[in-house]
Amino acid sequence: MLLQLKNIFKWVNSGGQRIFLLKDINFEVSEGEFISIMGPSGSGKSTLLNVIGMLDGFDEGEYHFLDESVHSLKEKHRSNLYKEYIGFVFQSYHLLDDLTVKENLEMPLLYKKYSSSERKAKVADMLDRFNIVGKKDLFPAQLSGGQQQLVGIARALISNPKLILADEPTGNLNSKQGEEIMELFKKLNDEGVTIIQVTHSEKNAAYGSRVINLLDGRMI
Amino acid sequence: MLKNHIRLFLRNISRDKSTFFINLVGLSSSLTCVLLVFLWVKDEVVKDQFHANKEQLYQVFRHVPNGQGSLNTYQSNSSLMLTTLQQEVPEVEQAVAVFRINGNAMLQTEDKKLASTGFFASEDYFKLFSFPLLAGDMNTVLRDVNSVVISKEMAENLFESEGFPVGKSLIIKNGEDGLEDVFTINGIFEIPKNSSQDFDFVLSYKKFLQNRDINDIHWGSNSSSMYALLKTGVGIESFNSKIEDLIKKKDSENQASVFFGLYADNYLKNRFVNGKKSGGRITYVILLSIVALFILIIACINFMNLSTAKATKRIKEIGVKKVVGAEKSSLIFQFLTESVLLACFSMIVAYAMVALILPWFSNITGKQLEFPFSISLILVIAGIAVVTGLISGSYPAFYLTKFKAISVLKGKLPTSSGDHVIRKGLVIFQFSISILLIVAVSIIYMQLDFIQSKNLGYNKDNIITIERQDGLVNNMETFLEEARMIPGVVNASYMQGDMTNFSNSSSNHRWPGQSEESKKFTFRHAHVGPDFIETMGIEMKEGRSYINEVPNNNSKIILNETAVELMGLENPIGTVIDMRGPNREIIGVVKDFNIQSLYDEITPMALVCRSEWISTLLVKIKAGEEKKTIAALTQLFEKFNPGLPFDFDFLDAQYEQLYLSEQRVASLSKYLAGLAILISCLGLFGLVTFTAQLRKKEVSIRKVLGQTTSQAFMMLSSEFVKLVMAAMVITLPIAYLMANDWLSDFAYRIPLRIWYFLGAGCTALIIAMFTVAGQSLMAAKSSPANALRQE
Ligand SMILES: Nc1ncnc2c1ncn2[C@@H]1O[C@H](COP(=O)(O)OP(=O)(O)OP(=O)(O)O)[C@@H](O)[C@H]1O
Ligand SMILES: [Mg+2]
Repeated sequence: MLLQLKNIFKWVNSGGQRIFLLKDINFEVSEGEFISIMGPSGSGKSTLLNVIGMLDGFDEGEYHFLDESVHSLKEKHRSNLYKEYIGFVFQSYHLLDDLTVKENLEMPLLYKKYSSSERKAKVADMLDRFNIVGKKDLFPAQLSGGQQQLVGIARALISNPKLILADEPTGNLNSKQGEEIMELFKKLNDEGVTIIQVTHSEKNAAYGSRVINLLDGRMI
Repeated sequence: MLKNHIRLFLRNISRDKSTFFINLVGLSSSLTCVLLVFLWVKDEVVKDQFHANKEQLYQVFRHVPNGQGSLNTYQSNSSLMLTTLQQEVPEVEQAVAVFRINGNAMLQTEDKKLASTGFFASEDYFKLFSFPLLAGDMNTVLRDVNSVVISKEMAENLFESEGFPVGKSLIIKNGEDGLEDVFTINGIFEIPKNSSQDFDFVLSYKKFLQNRDINDIHWGSNSSSMYALLKTGVGIESFNSKIEDLIKKKDSENQASVFFGLYADNYLKNRFVNGKKSGGRITYVILLSIVALFILIIACINFMNLSTAKATKRIKEIGVKKVVGAEKSSLIFQFLTESVLLACFSMIVAYAMVALILPWFSNITGKQLEFPFSISLILVIAGIAVVTGLISGSYPAFYLTKFKAISVLKGKLPTSSGDHVIRKGLVIFQFSISILLIVAVSIIYMQLDFIQSKNLGYNKDNIITIERQDGLVNNMETFLEEARMIPGVVNASYMQGDMTNFSNSSSNHRWPGQSEESKKFTFRHAHVGPDFIETMGIEMKEGRSYINEVPNNNSKIILNETAVELMGLENPIGTVIDMRGPNREIIGVVKDFNIQSLYDEITPMALVCRSEWISTLLVKIKAGEEKKTIAALTQLFEKFNPGLPFDFDFLDAQYEQLYLSEQRVASLSKYLAGLAILISCLGLFGLVTFTAQLRKKEVSIRKVLGQTTSQAFMMLSSEFVKLVMAAMVITLPIAYLMANDWLSDFAYRIPLRIWYFLGAGCTALIIAMFTVAGQSLMAAKSSPANALRQE
């Protein structure tokens, strides 16, 4: 088992009232799964994904990740955990405009203990694997949306995470580009990477092995 | 990692050139000013520090009650002090006496003649003071009565031959002291650059004593400076309290107490108030250092404010980096690296600027500053750059990295009102400092102007002062008589000392009805010519002046108003005073006139009509005929002094010299204040530009809803104008207190008026308004359709 959520609640206080963003979320994810989270806009999909990715906290419940109790971990420890095992892919790519493709890929490695030559090797490997060697010195603005998302995924993968979290990875792409990304996810999943994606599209969800449906912060 | 930071830093620069430019200009100009002030301060604090004995080398001061409730401090001592110190004070290892020759003396070889300054000093002078001797033995150079030690430059100027002219002879003449003799050069000295003293020759003190009238040597006649080397381990505090009554024990009628002050301190702490070393140059050293520091802080604040204001531009980068695993510390490191890089870059620019403007700076500070290329200096400079970078980077670094990655990536910057308060506070701080400096500069200028135009009780206009030297020594009266015949000459006379430095004093006078208290009075005392009062335009209060009097009639005296008042004389005219020697009858009382600087109150003064010890000739000329008259005087002078240049001064120019250090500080602070307001406005400009951009959409929507351009303009600019006004309100009381404090040092000062302060505040406000107006107007005028379409 990779991770387990038990009775997760998350709320915000607004005008003396408690507004629930997540209500009693329970599920487990095993290694090698490909899960899609679906639901209408505002139902809490991104919130849930961020909780899983440890970017956001929660107010009640337990979260276990690889035998570690995330809810009781210190900030420092939690960030180490997430640095090692989790990679993020965003709808709007979130590449750094001032860095070239190569530098964007290299960036996550700068914050981990890799030597310069190891970094070079890994970046070269990724560029090769995603077929973007020719683009390595271009800036994000010089790429198409699909190409940017490829770089985004490559960046998420570069430090060999066990789990990829993707928030509407195809949201900004046309259908053909979207399909290519999904194929890529499928391939990665076959290679053993666990994937949790948020999506609005049934077609994309079909690439996965399981769907979690949310409505008003609650699983249905 | 560092390489990546640097790369990102450079790309950021090219993306946002205007911010970079504002920061670069602000930081490099403030660093330039820090470096210049640093060089200036360094030059000030090393003054006189080269003496090997500086820890033990003291000057002997006298404190004398001035009868007005406080102590006056004098550095002159009786020549009897020397042997007393040497023989009777066991703590003193060595002592020397120095008698400074007033004005210039003539140094003459067979074919050359040079005006130069110097003094008589007792044997151990070159042992106590570390002026290096290039030739001669420091134990013996001053041993012979007719020995002279001259400076290297003098040696080079007088003797063109190779090698040091040791053993050669010189004729030295000085009018005032009646000196004229042949001396043998026993040694050559050199004056280190960081010496506050500058002199061309030193004669033996034995010569000085030889020329003195034995009757003039007593504890009440103070002519020499005394220096003493204390034995190691002597505690100065306890020694001073032990030595205090030294003079009183020797001379029961003497009121002076003795005080040893560290010689090496004298340069910086050159003012005494009521017997205590208090301030002087050190005040300006501290003040200018603080001002330079504040200007640097103002520039750092620009960096902080612009970085945090533009946070939205960098916030995505921070979010992404956090998501891929960057820790807060590494992001902080990144931002600090950027600010340190910027500071180092600015420092390089500043370094070049300093090299460029150092000659100009030396000129306005009256110093010979150098910018040596040494490792230690480079380290200091690098240190300043790094610290500057860290200070300016600190707040942005912590501000930018404190947000949670997730909220950052959602694109919203949690705008806590606290951040705005800090930014506003920083702007207020910048303008407070700027306003403070503007007030300071204007008050200094007004006070100096006041001093220069103050009625001194005599008329300093159109008075030429000529030093009594060479041919004038014996023929002074003839010269003056002939000068009076020149049509452009109104009057002519002479005096001991000069009008701006009137330091001779006498005490222990006795008169009928004298109170116990008034026995302590010290009078300033000067020999003057018969026409002195008329030439100087001093008014008589009662009695008559010396006009038509024959000099050296020892039975008469003229006092000033203050003296008469303090002596408690109802009918001064005719009263006879016992002046320890001759009895003198008061024939006249002059209205008070100012001598010395206006820091000091008018003191009791006695004018005696004598032609001895005269150092200055005074010639009053007609206004408008200066050129012709001076030409005629030059001719006359040459008749009496063939081959000597006619060297003269205008008294009013001499008077301005009294306030030279204030004038220098004033002109320095003028530039500093200008720089402060400039850098502050630069920052304000950056902020306004940025907020105008940010609020473009808001303005557009408001305009669509009916807001007029002028309303929009008011909305955009009022925010910043309010900040400057807040700075005004905060600063003005502080400025008032500080101005009052500075002025309280002067016995004569300008009154403080509210509009001085309001004027300074409004100046800052107007400058700030102009800064804000352009950008605000542009944003306010922009067509709403344009801005909204961009969204
Ligand atoms: N910090 C917060 N304070 C208050 N409400 C919040 C906060 N964060 C999220 N919400 C609310 O929680 C709900 C869920 O938001 P979330 O972004 O998870 O929705 P979503 O399912 O991802 O929607 P979409 O499909 O539009 O991306 C929304 O109604 C949002 O307004
Ligand atoms: Mg969402």
